[in-house]
Amino acid sequence: MKSGSNLEKVLEGGHFALTAEVGPPKGALATVIRRKGELLKFYCDAMNVTDNQTAIVRMSSWSGCILLKELGIDPVMQMVVRDRNRIAIQSDILGAVALGIRNVLCLSGDHQKFGNHPTAKGVYDIDSTQLIQTLKTMRDEKKFLCGEDIAGELPLFIGAVENPFADPFEYRVQRLAKKVKAGADFIQTQAVFDVDKFSRWMKMLRDQGLDKQVHILAGIIPIKSVGMARYMRDNVSGIGVPDEILTRMEEAKDAKEEGVNIALEIIDRLKEIEGIHGIHIMAVAWEDIIPVIVERAGLLPRPIL
Amino acid sequence: MIVTKKRELNKLKENIKSHKSVFLLGCAECATLCATGGEPELKAMKEALESEGKEVTGIFAAKSGCQVLGTKLDLKPFKEAINKADCIIVMSCGAGTQTAAELYESKSVYPANDSMFLGNMTRFQVFDERCSLCGECILDKTGGICPITRCAKSLLNGPCGGSQGGKCEISPNLPCAWQLIIERLSRIGSLHKLEEIVPPKNWDQVPTGKSSDKKRGK
Repeated sequence: MKSGSNLEKVLEGGHFALTAEVGPPKGALATVIRRKGELLKFYCDAMNVTDNQTAIVRMSSWSGCILLKELGIDPVMQMVVRDRNRIAIQSDILGAVALGIRNVLCLSGDHQKFGNHPTAKGVYDIDSTQLIQTLKTMRDEKKFLCGEDIAGELPLFIGAVENPFADPFEYRVQRLAKKVKAGADFIQTQAVFDVDKFSRWMKMLRDQGLDKQVHILAGIIPIKSVGMARYMRDNVSGIGVPDEILTRMEEAKDAKEEGVNIALEIIDRLKEIEGIHGIHIMAVAWEDIIPVIVERAGLLPRPIL
Repeated sequence: MIVTKKRELNKLKENIKSHKSVFLLGCAECATLCATGGEPELKAMKEALESEGKEVTGIFAAKSGCQVLGTKLDLKPFKEAINKADCIIVMSCGAGTQTAAELYESKSVYPANDSMFLGNMTRFQVFDERCSLCGECILDKTGGICPITRCAKSLLNGPCGGSQGGKCEISPNLPCAWQLIIERLSRIGSLHKLEEIVPPKNWDQVPTGKSSDKKRGK
């Protein structure tokens, strides 16, 4: 075991893993995180806490993680390279491990231009691949980036993201291979709506044997309304919402129910793809639906390890 | 070249409001190509300032305003005109302005332009930023296209998940630098160059991050 986290145990034990995303509040109310934690506690194996997603200032990921940990939940701390240089990154990792956080997800982060402080200076001192490599070096060699020794162990389960729907499509697998080489233990993908395209990507990945080197968790975003489907198609970079899904949402009598049905159908198809080791549900501002989806997808009970 | 843009004339007038006479110094290199400090701009500035009641004692476009000794030599014939002026307005880049400040220690010196970036003229008087002067060229690995300058996140192991249809996530008008890099390396049969993970960069030599004086000598 690299970290001994619940997520690592579930994945290494060969179980189909389930993670859920928790968006922290635009404020300091711990109850927001606690409520989501209590709601989802028995419906997933670990919970991601986003790091100022879409460059909008929110409660920090690590503090959200601690609030979840107090409830006995295994948190995944998301960390973007947009807001921290290598000094702050390494320092925050030491602090996170000291507080019991074991899973860290490495991302570039949405560009600051999208957020509520568009004139902020983007840091991007290191990139997401270099962040993965930094964490691996810290964990395995007990060394900082500069080469100096770290005192003590640094148990970490290192995550990375990949968006199979971004371009250039053929190169996305090479990019993932680089992240695996850098030291990623698990991958959480962007939300899957176009399962055919995702399958093609997975095949390319298997052809290179990458599915044997890293755990792939496919992303799921349940669609709540037609408006949300349209918004994601037009405004969220790197999510392709096929016309077929949009039409289904438009024609549905009960849009929410249809959104759940679509999510369940996608999960069913993903479960059949060789090399998929779990799913990651990002129910943006609709966390309440996660228990429903997990139950109806037949993914209960969650393993206790 | 160093790409410059004209500052607002009002800003300049505010700068020189206590001065009666000025000498105008342009540059025959970048500022001429940018139309911010060549002969036509010097003449136009002379007229504009004279119409404001200022005396213009002389105008001159230096061969290379950033060349300190050359400019000193070039300006010899203008000794009297410069002495007579209360101040010098420099119509080139920040480097040119500092040449004047270095040569005329006890005279006020004002920039007429804002220096923007190191760019290429891709069409007539259209300039695109191409180089960040980062002191550690990566172009050998990236097919001659600079991700430090042209990727919105300066990624060294790109592209990020926001690359869509060849465009950057921040603007539909901005090409994704990594898409360009991958296309070009594929064309020339060198895509394998990207397999290696590029390590964290030494940002110390980059203008915004530097912590030491930059000098390049023999």
